[in-house]
Amino acid sequence: MKVLLIGSGSREHAIADALARSVHEPKIFAVMSNRNPGIIRICESTGGEYFIGKITDPQFVREIGERVSPDFAFIGPEEPQFHGVSDALEEAGIPCVGAREKLSEIERSKAFMRRLMWKYRIPGRLRFKAFKNVEEAIAYIKEYAESIALKPARQAGGKGVKVIADIQAYLRRERTEVKEKHAKKIYEEHMKPYDDIEDKILIEEKVDGPEYTLQCFTDGRTVLPLPLVQDNKNAFEMDIGPETGGMGSISGKGFLLPFIEEDEFRESVKIVESVVRALEKEFGMRYHGVISGQMMLTALWGPTIIEFYSRFGDPEGVNVLPILKTDLVEISEAVISEKLHKMKIEVEEKATVVKAIAPQGYPNRRDLAKGHPIAVDERAIEEQGARVFYGSVNVDNGRLITGGSRAVEIFACAETIEEASKIVDKCVKYVRCLDGWGLFYRSDIGSSTLLHRRMELAELVRNVYRYRRSKGIIGIKIDWIPGVGKIVYES
Amino acid sequence: MSGIFGIFAFDEIWRVSKFVYYGLLALQTRGQEVCGIACGGSDGIVTCAKRGYVDQSFKENELEGIGGWYGIGYVGADPQNVQPVTVRHNGITVSVCYSGRIFNLRELTKRYNLPEKENESILFAKILASEVRKSGPMNAAALLMEELEGVYTVLAITDQKEMVAFRDSHGVKPLTIGSYGFDYGAIASESAGLEVIGADYKSDIMPGEIYLFTSYSIEREQVRAPQPKYCAFEYVYYARPDSIINEKSVYDVRVKIGEYLAKESPVDVDVVVGVPETAIPFAMAYSNATGTPIAMGFMRTGRHTRTAIKPTYFERLVGVQLKLNPIKSVFSGKRVLIIDDSVVRGTTMKNVIHLLRNKMGAKEVHVRIGSPRLVNPCPYGTEVPTRDELIAANLSEEEVAIVTGADSFKWLSIDSLIKAIGFPREYLCLRCFGGDGDEGPTHR
Repeated sequence: MKVLLIGSGSREHAIADALARSVHEPKIFAVMSNRNPGIIRICESTGGEYFIGKITDPQFVREIGERVSPDFAFIGPEEPQFHGVSDALEEAGIPCVGAREKLSEIERSKAFMRRLMWKYRIPGRLRFKAFKNVEEAIAYIKEYAESIALKPARQAGGKGVKVIADIQAYLRRERTEVKEKHAKKIYEEHMKPYDDIEDKILIEEKVDGPEYTLQCFTDGRTVLPLPLVQDNKNAFEMDIGPETGGMGSISGKGFLLPFIEEDEFRESVKIVESVVRALEKEFGMRYHGVISGQMMLTALWGPTIIEFYSRFGDPEGVNVLPILKTDLVEISEAVISEKLHKMKIEVEEKATVVKAIAPQGYPNRRDLAKGHPIAVDERAIEEQGARVFYGSVNVDNGRLITGGSRAVEIFACAETIEEASKIVDKCVKYVRCLDGWGLFYRSDIGSSTLLHRRMELAELVRNVYRYRRSKGIIGIKIDWIPGVGKIVYES
Repeated sequence: MSGIFGIFAFDEIWRVSKFVYYGLLALQTRGQEVCGIACGGSDGIVTCAKRGYVDQSFKENELEGIGGWYGIGYVGADPQNVQPVTVRHNGITVSVCYSGRIFNLRELTKRYNLPEKENESILFAKILASEVRKSGPMNAAALLMEELEGVYTVLAITDQKEMVAFRDSHGVKPLTIGSYGFDYGAIASESAGLEVIGADYKSDIMPGEIYLFTSYSIEREQVRAPQPKYCAFEYVYYARPDSIINEKSVYDVRVKIGEYLAKESPVDVDVVVGVPETAIPFAMAYSNATGTPIAMGFMRTGRHTRTAIKPTYFERLVGVQLKLNPIKSVFSGKRVLIIDDSVVRGTTMKNVIHLLRNKMGAKEVHVRIGSPRLVNPCPYGTEVPTRDELIAANLSEEEVAIVTGADSFKWLSIDSLIKAIGFPREYLCLRCFGGDGDEGPTHR
């Protein structure tokens, strides 16, 4: 058996690893944009091969697909999906786990995602406005915007999102100025490389609460969830610092998180199911692949959608794939043949922690973070009971060179999140930068202090959304304006 | 006494001068004589430091003229000590403010070849600047923490897009850290300074710890082992009740103080009245614990002032008279318990009791104080008068009662204060309360 994997980050390393564990003993072939040492090793040890090139070029990937002739392909990242790599492979007769171009719109266009949720009245939606030019966005900001999230309307590598809580009226002028400048920056910088969507700037109402990621397999008919994962986006400890792609994440043990309850988990799955069905109605085709809800427990709804991924999260995928007991090859085949209803997802009953190690400079000065040689003592890390997944690194003349983003992710599982976190912390010293440049990570991820903070926050919003449910005003905002009267912002 | 505030935005599109201003406004309780702001941006550092209240010293348009995405600010009670101080030294500009007292600054001055007659805060800024120039802010802070003798929290910014904060290994003065989403980190003497700008309190900067913010990192180093000697007077008087310092809610401590007063020295009266503002939580807790009705006995005229830290007798007298206009029906014909936060010289209390007896018609006036006897001056920058001016250092409780005209007079015991705060005794600086010099950090 042969499997073709597309992508070269730590998420794909974890996918390759899970595929290679299959009883079907697949040969792993990979198409990568950089030389990920972990994936290279798996390709070599399973008797596969790897290819370096532009993974977003459907023709290039298709040619490799035709040459390799795999049983199926697994597409890790979102950009190849946006560019129609799934479609090109399927045309060549290679079935794919990975959304078709049209279906990947659920991640590519955040404006499309919001419209879809409104059109089908799916719970967990937020009020939003999409703008095609910066002038209209600024005019709107000047007149209405208070606490908002400003986003590029297209998925832009997770960059360009700014969330502004605008509560203190005495600081409104400064915050409005920031919103306006950032709207301009989205238009002129973040959206500049992309001409594949008309909307440019998205403004959403800001919500508060603990975030979590629900990653699911789907064949378009059945949605099978994996354990919930919680990612930590601030670059530095104690949730201070700029937004990153994620500095580390926790799960378990089991399918729930310590701050998400069973019914909230089930409601979250229902939201994803509704979206999968809505996508089929919109495009007349079934979604084959991974779909993830990046969610938040909010006072407005309870489970609420912040964004959708047409893939595993990174690092969230690295939490669940190593403890997946069900054969990933068999899951993939069930996705392709639309027989997922016959599968059951089983995972080891363990809590997991993943922490990213990044070169200083990430995320705001990737130019500084890039190009440093690093060394990873994998054996020492494995002796501690942890595992390494390679991210933004490139093998160059036998040396590992940082690519500017999170270089390495370390995974550990244990009975509790705190224990797993401690195992990972012991391993950090085995990743070193060889030219004296600094590396950083967050020791607080998975600590009881941080967990308690999330639980406290969850309890706050849980009380409010339950109160709102009891009053029949879930998803609705009601205001009374003097001289105007009662206004209901309906969902 | 003083307060410091710092903010560092992770995105250069922010303009932070107004945030520093509001941070200082929240810390105004820590010092009302001088205030200053220094902000850094692409045009270097702009500094503006003045005498007077924050909201009277800075006008809207003036703040809008100060650009930059990182900045620090200072409020202080010493009219001669205007901060932040900005110095240019060997090609680097550093702006510094600090709260506390450094005892060996003059000695260091010689080593750095600086003129001895200079103002202390300027000397300190120059020493810091020259170390930053040599080895960067992290190493400079670490080195100074080895060399400085005293008690301090320090905030500094450089024109190299950096902000550094550090706290001496005893941590006498509080320093908290917080953040606002993905956009800025902030540091303030008290957590109320963080909340006013929409930031969430995250933690305290530990004694002996350094935080360095740069345009691409936040580094944290514990360079000296913490040997906590947290100022107990912060919990009794200085800090705002809505603040958290050293991870403890000031309000919760004050409630416990009221409960301990009820336990230690209850008195049979008709009504209990707290002297605004600090003593109100003591009085509420005393009332809840004993069932004695509480009433609002005084109304203030004009702005909220910290009367105890006013520099001259005349200003203190004016402050007290304006803040303590009694409401007659609360006192008339009643046996009254007055709870206050401290008695320094006793003059204020004497005036108040005289008024309550002779003008308001109180039948009995008892006094309880939510702090132990104040017997020593503070060598670490808190304005407590010299020993011969302190009534508690000179008179017994019975004598104070007679001098002030009270029916009874009791201090809180040191042991109760320690229990109310909840730290082990050795973690607290109790110098001003105890005759024992060993109870504070080493000093000269």
